[in-house]
Order: sequence, then C-alpha cells, then structure tokens
Amino acid sequence: MTTTRDPEVPAPPLAESPAPSGILEIRGIGKAFPNVQALQDVSLDVRPGEILALMGENGAGKSTLLKILNGDYQPDEGTLTLDGERVSFAGPREARNYGVRVIQQEPEIIPGVDVTENIYAGELPRRGLFVDRNRLNELVRSDLRKYGFETVLPVGLMGDELSSAQRQLVEIMRALKSNIRILALDEPTSSLTDDEVDRLFDLVRRLRDDGVAIMYVSHRIKEILRLADRVAVLRDGRLVDVRPSEELTEGEIVRLMVGRELRDVFKRRESTSEDVVLRVEGIRSNWHRGVSFEVRAGEVVGFAGLIGAGRTELAKVVFGELPRDSGRIFVGGREVDIRQPWDAIRAGIGFAPEDRKREGLVLIRSVLENASLAILRRLSRFHFVQQRLEREVVAGFVDRLRVRTPSLEQEVGKLSGGNQQKVVLARWLAARPKLLILDEPTRGIDVGAKAEIYRLVDELANEGLGIMFISSELPEILGLADRIYVMQSGRITGELPGPGTTEEQVLALAMAEHLTVAEAAGEPADPATVEEHAE
Amino acid sequence: MSEAQATSEAERPRRDGVIRRVINAIGLDNVSLIFALAILIVVIVSRQPLFLTWQNLMNSLAQSIVIVGLMAIGQTIVIVGGGLDISVGSTASVASVTSAIAVVFGVAGILPPGIMQLGLLVGILTGMTLGLINGLVVTVLRVNPIIATLGTLAAYAGLAFLIAPDGRPVGVITQPDFTWLGTGRILADLPVPRLGGPWTGIPVLFVILVIVAILAHILMRYTDFGRSVYAIGGNATAARLGGINLRRSRLVMYSISGMCAGLAGVLLTARTTSGNPINGVGFELQAITAVFLGGAATTGGKGTIIATVLAFILVGTLNNGMNLIGIGTFYQRVALGLLLIGAVAITQWRQQRAERARTRLASAG
Repeated sequence: MTTTRDPEVPAPPLAESPAPSGILEIRGIGKAFPNVQALQDVSLDVRPGEILALMGENGAGKSTLLKILNGDYQPDEGTLTLDGERVSFAGPREARNYGVRVIQQEPEIIPGVDVTENIYAGELPRRGLFVDRNRLNELVRSDLRKYGFETVLPVGLMGDELSSAQRQLVEIMRALKSNIRILALDEPTSSLTDDEVDRLFDLVRRLRDDGVAIMYVSHRIKEILRLADRVAVLRDGRLVDVRPSEELTEGEIVRLMVGRELRDVFKRRESTSEDVVLRVEGIRSNWHRGVSFEVRAGEVVGFAGLIGAGRTELAKVVFGELPRDSGRIFVGGREVDIRQPWDAIRAGIGFAPEDRKREGLVLIRSVLENASLAILRRLSRFHFVQQRLEREVVAGFVDRLRVRTPSLEQEVGKLSGGNQQKVVLARWLAARPKLLILDEPTRGIDVGAKAEIYRLVDELANEGLGIMFISSELPEILGLADRIYVMQSGRITGELPGPGTTEEQVLALAMAEHLTVAEAAGEPADPATVEEHAE
Repeated sequence: MSEAQATSEAERPRRDGVIRRVINAIGLDNVSLIFALAILIVVIVSRQPLFLTWQNLMNSLAQSIVIVGLMAIGQTIVIVGGGLDISVGSTASVASVTSAIAVVFGVAGILPPGIMQLGLLVGILTGMTLGLINGLVVTVLRVNPIIATLGTLAAYAGLAFLIAPDGRPVGVITQPDFTWLGTGRILADLPVPRLGGPWTGIPVLFVILVIVAILAHILMRYTDFGRSVYAIGGNATAARLGGINLRRSRLVMYSISGMCAGLAGVLLTARTTSGNPINGVGFELQAITAVFLGGAATTGGKGTIIATVLAFILVGTLNNGMNLIGIGTFYQRVALGLLLIGAVAITQWRQQRAERARTRLASAG
C-alpha cells in the first residue's frame, strides 16, 4: 500500500536549492490512501525561531502531514531535509532522535499512574530500588510552575482522568525534557479555557524564542492570527498559500481554506409564520428554575449562554431524556406528556445531541441503520422492515444532505465528523418532525460542512420546520437565528431579535450575575424577560 | 431509485469477481469460520475415516450440537444487544423438569397427561418466564447482566430441584410421543446414497434446531426488533435518543434467550427420557463460547445468527472428532476453554485492525 523509499536512491533534482534558513525542508510530499489523495506536492519550510500555523478543513491533509513528520506514515513521494541532510523517519522514535516531536490530539497516556509518573515515564528518579517520590513530585511541580500549568494539570490526577488537553500538556512536558528542534502541535487548545490557552501560547512563544521551530495546527482562526508568524493553508491535500500572518485577515484565511468568504455563509430567510410549534411553560428541574419559551413554525430560535447555563439540559428535558419536576410542553398547540424520548419523537420532535459520537450515533452500525433508527416503526409492516422503502427514504436524505459515504452500508464511525452530523440530521429529517432541536450541530466539523449545515437549517426553516438552535459560537447564532433566548444558571435571562443583535448584548445577558431576591424566588428577572412562569 | 443510491452503486469497483461476491454474501468473517471447519474436517478424516459416515454425522454430530446450538442462538441475540445470559443451563434444567411433569401428570388437573405438545409448550413458557425475570433484574433493578444471570444461574439450578417431586428426576420413558422429539427421525425413505452405512433419516432434534435458527435469523435480520437489538448493543444511549424503547427490547431479548433455553430443556428431557434437574448443567459455557467464536463483539452491536451457527457446528465437530480419535473428555474441556479465549482474542485483534484502518482513513479524509 505504501511505498517506502530507499533513502540511498538519489533524490530527483530540486528546483529550489536548499535554503540555509530552513532547518526542515519539506519538498514535494505526496501521500495517497485507497480512494483519496491525502497530500499532493506539498513543499514547505519549517524554520527555527518561528511559529508556522497549519490550517485547513478536516481532511485537508494537516494530520497526514504531521503523521509523516512523526514517522507514522511514509510519504509516497517527496523528501524531508533536515539541516541539509536527507532524512526519513521509520517511526516516532526515529523522528525524536532527530529532535522532531509531534504532539498528537489524543496522546498515549498510561492510565493507571498519575501525572508525575506519566511525565517521567521511563526515567523515574530512584532511590535504591524504589522510585524517589518526593524528588519526582518536586521535579514535576517545578516544571509545571515554570510554565504556569500547575493549576491546569494537578499532579495527583491519574492518566485516565485526564482530558485530551491535559494529555497534550503531559506530552508537551515530556517533550520539553528532551532536546527538541521541531515541535508540532495538533489542535492543542480544543478544550482549554481562554486563560489556559494564554499560558500555552506563552510557552509556545518561549520555545520559539529559544530557537525551536513550531508547527501549530488549529481550526481557530483568531487564535492563529494572535500566535503564528506564518500561516500555511492546505486544501484538498495541496498547499494553497503560505504567508506571514500580519498579511492575513480572518476572512482571508477562510477564503483560502474553503475558497469563499465567510459572510456568504449566512443567508437571511424571508419570514416566519405565526403557528407555534413548541410552547414550553415553567419548566423546573434539577437544572432549571422556571423556563418558558416558544418556537414558531419556520423559525430558527437560538439559545445562547455560557457552559452550564442549562441549554443542553433544557433540550434533553424537552426531549424526555432528562426528568422535569414540573412544567408543561405543548407541541402544535396540544399538550403532550413527554416522559421518554419516544414520546417526544411521536409528538414530532427531533433531537441532534451535542456529543454525536456518544449520544447521536451507533458508530459500529451502517449509515442506513443509523438514519432509519427513528422511523423503524413507520418503515415496518408486521414488524418487518420494508428494506426497499428504507433504502429509498434514506438514500433520498443522504443525497439531499450530500453525505459523502461510499455506500449506505458504510460504518458511520468511519465517516468524517461533518458527514456523521449529516447522518444524524438525515435521521431526523426522515422522521418529518415539526420541531428540530440542534445542540451544537457544528462542533468539531470543518468550515465547509458548517456552511452546508447553516444552509440546511435555513432551508428547513423555510419549509416550515421550527428549529431550536443551541450553540456556543455566537457568530453562528447571530447569523442564523430569528430570535435568541439567552440563558444563565437555569433561567432565561433575556430574549433578543436575531438580526441586528451584537455579541456584546448577548454576552451581557449571559453573564448578568447576581440575581435579585425576587428572581431567585422565581419571579421574572425584569420586564424584558420573556413570559417567565412564576409558580 | 434515488441518485445517491445510483452513485453509490457506480462508485463501487466494477472489478468485483465472482469469488468476491460470494464472500460478500457469506460475510468475510464467516469465511474464516468455514475455512477453519474445512481444515478441521480434513484433519479428522485423515485420522479417522469413520467421521464421514451417516451413522456419525446424523447420530453423533447432528444430535450433539442441538442443545448447545439452541442456547447459542438465544445467547447471540442477548450478546448482540449488549447483554449476557449465563443462566441458560439452569433455565434448561427447570424447563426439563416442568415439561416432564406436564407430560407425565398433565396440568393442574385440567389438561390430561400424555400430550407431547403440552410438554413442549410448558417447557418453552417456563424458559420464557425465567428469561423475563432475567430481563427484569437487568432493566428494573439495573443489575449488571453478568451478575444478574450468574445469580439466576445459581437460583434456577436450585429451583429445578425444588420443582422436581422429592428432587428426583421425572421419567418420561412411558411417553413415546414425547420422546420422539429426542429420538425420532424423519425422511428416512429418501433415496440417499450410503455413506459408511445406510441413510436412516434426519433426527427430529436437528430439524427443530434448523427451524429455530432460521426464525432467529429472520428476526435479527429483517425485523424492527432485530434492528433495535443491534442499535442497543452498539450504543444504548444513541438508541434511546433515536426512539428505541430500551426496556421493552431488553425484556424481549432475555425472554427469547429463555425460550430457546426452555426448548433445549424440553429436548434434553425427550432425549434422555428423564426430566432431570441436572440436565442443563454446564451448557452455558459452550453456548457463550460458540457466540464469541462466531465473532460477536463482547461489547455488543455486532454478531449474526449465521456466524453463531457456523461456530457451534465447528465446536461440535471438534468435540466429535476428538471423541472419534480418542482424545479424553478432560482434554476436550481444556480445548473448549482455550477456544473461548482464542475466539475473543481473534475478534479483538480484528477490531484493533479495523480501528487502525479507521484512524488512517479519518486522518486522510
């Protein structure tokens, strides 16, 4: 499958002569997998004392490039030159010997031992036969203090208790103990808080100033513009452009990544009807203190708020996955008694959960089975699934949503994030709901797929579907929603119109702290607050 | 036909040869089972030609796989659904006793003794009830399936003795209609050529196994229930959020396993001519082994009836061959244990390989 090149074979003559400034020269790298050309003719210099950002949609080839640098893959063609010397890495160990270190998104960690032993694995300080615990703790603590990570990475945590971000930090700490010349980071900030991101950036900058060459992969454009010296953009396995970051704007980067501007992504819908598809009155639960709202047919209603405001839980209460203490739910004007998800589905509600791998999809089953899950009953006659009908229905939606899959029999787990999300959506569209709840529908999917999801949400609303749109990305809520509810600590603290609202207005409501006594008792927060139900 | 389907058909490589298509129809994983079975048969025949006689195939082999086979079929459904039913052996024991009682003494003085169908029905219903209890323990009391059915394995074993009058076996030798289930033959008149002896027909036991296997295959492959079992085993949360009634599906799943074990108990009674409270002891291990040998995922969501059938034929052939060659029972037990571990190890290895292929694909596209 892969052709490993013999390093002795002379390289084809290069057009460019080796630049003395670049310690790692990537020249004409190509890599193919069955059915996909992951990388094609990529040439790039990675220079010491510089942060080079690597950007691109999912599947653009970023990870493949990093895996080649790490020795996980052998390139089909092209060369790597380190300090003028041709190199090829047969594996991660060999890459490390050259001072090349790639921090994976999900680094390997030893689950049963704590942070200190994970960092010093293989070179634990000893006293006689035993591990010198005191010295180990002291070493790790001082390292962490030096880089400002002592709060982010509590040394007592066991390997399997670490988040992916913490695992990456462990891996970075491991790397720092050796002599690194090139450090590549793959999406290191995906689950860090702003404060932690700042510290990581400080560390990365410090390493750069020490003369390390940094490669930094991220989806977050703002972040990249703050950090990187140069930005390289990949699209469909090819290098589209490399430019100093000060020459680039956010819109410019998106254009390079997808080939069009961000503002084209959102389109405004004509109008919404007056029919209320969902009315929720005074929901109280473990997470909510009297929440009331409504969604009309053809309307996209955004739910904004900070993490922990109770938005996901609200969706799950409405869908019958979480219990409520009191409160009434009306679908299409009729009160419905929703106790379990199937009650909600029968009433005409669809729900695409936030965590699609754990809650949305049966990853080891096919696209077909996942997409028809919610309509099995309707597809069956005397409990026999009418397979031809099933294929027709599912193929129709797979087609409409442009799910890229080799066949309907493909295991869903093998699809990319964006396509997985589309399978979840196909399931709910097939169920022909009146109301669709989307919880962070664009999380972890690439820009192109995001744009498709936005377009779809618009289309569906135009067809008269009511949509509850929960998102932590304010730009997409502001761009898509006709109305926005802002939640904080289990209550709705405000209602805003979608068009014309600014991020600041939303954030003010999302962070309006310190409830008054009356509010805490369940009274409406202020006249602007929507129909809150004081019981 | 929609466009998406048309394109997906078109994208598929055209070069698919006949062999490939045959393999796809059987399922790649099953091919290795068939291959293993073929090698095993060659090895056995080379050492003991008596293997290939109607006497051995129809008497020893076909009959010996029936009990394990029935339990394994029910077990497959439970394991695919993410559960496990260790209690099947004891369930069979209880059903063995109740069916014998029903046939010998009748039911509650209303239904007379001597009705074969009544024994059959009572045995199956007994199994269903015990299976339903397993399901309730798992769903309502939320006890882990391993613990739950390990508990009922012990409890049902005791129950079998409590139900048997004075704890003694109930003889059914006086009920020829009923013992026909265990010893009868059909199609003995078919003009089948000799194979180390004359053709004597197909055992009724074996016919019952074939019918149950076909029904179970249809259930898992073509019904909405089957689909929900695969979904629940693959990801219970996603299945629930997709509108599947988890509790009901699980109750049905365990009840079916119980019914299969109950039927196995009836046939044990018919074959041994005795409703004995120890009839089912030890079968659970063989049944579970067969399911995992068939490649079912230990975590659920994967596995087919066809694979299980091939697997218990393989286990049965192995035992039969070892008997013929003269390898002792103790060695056979060791072999069975190793087979269970080996089967799961192979499945894990396969999964790991698939996992690696998946990450490679994900990073590429």
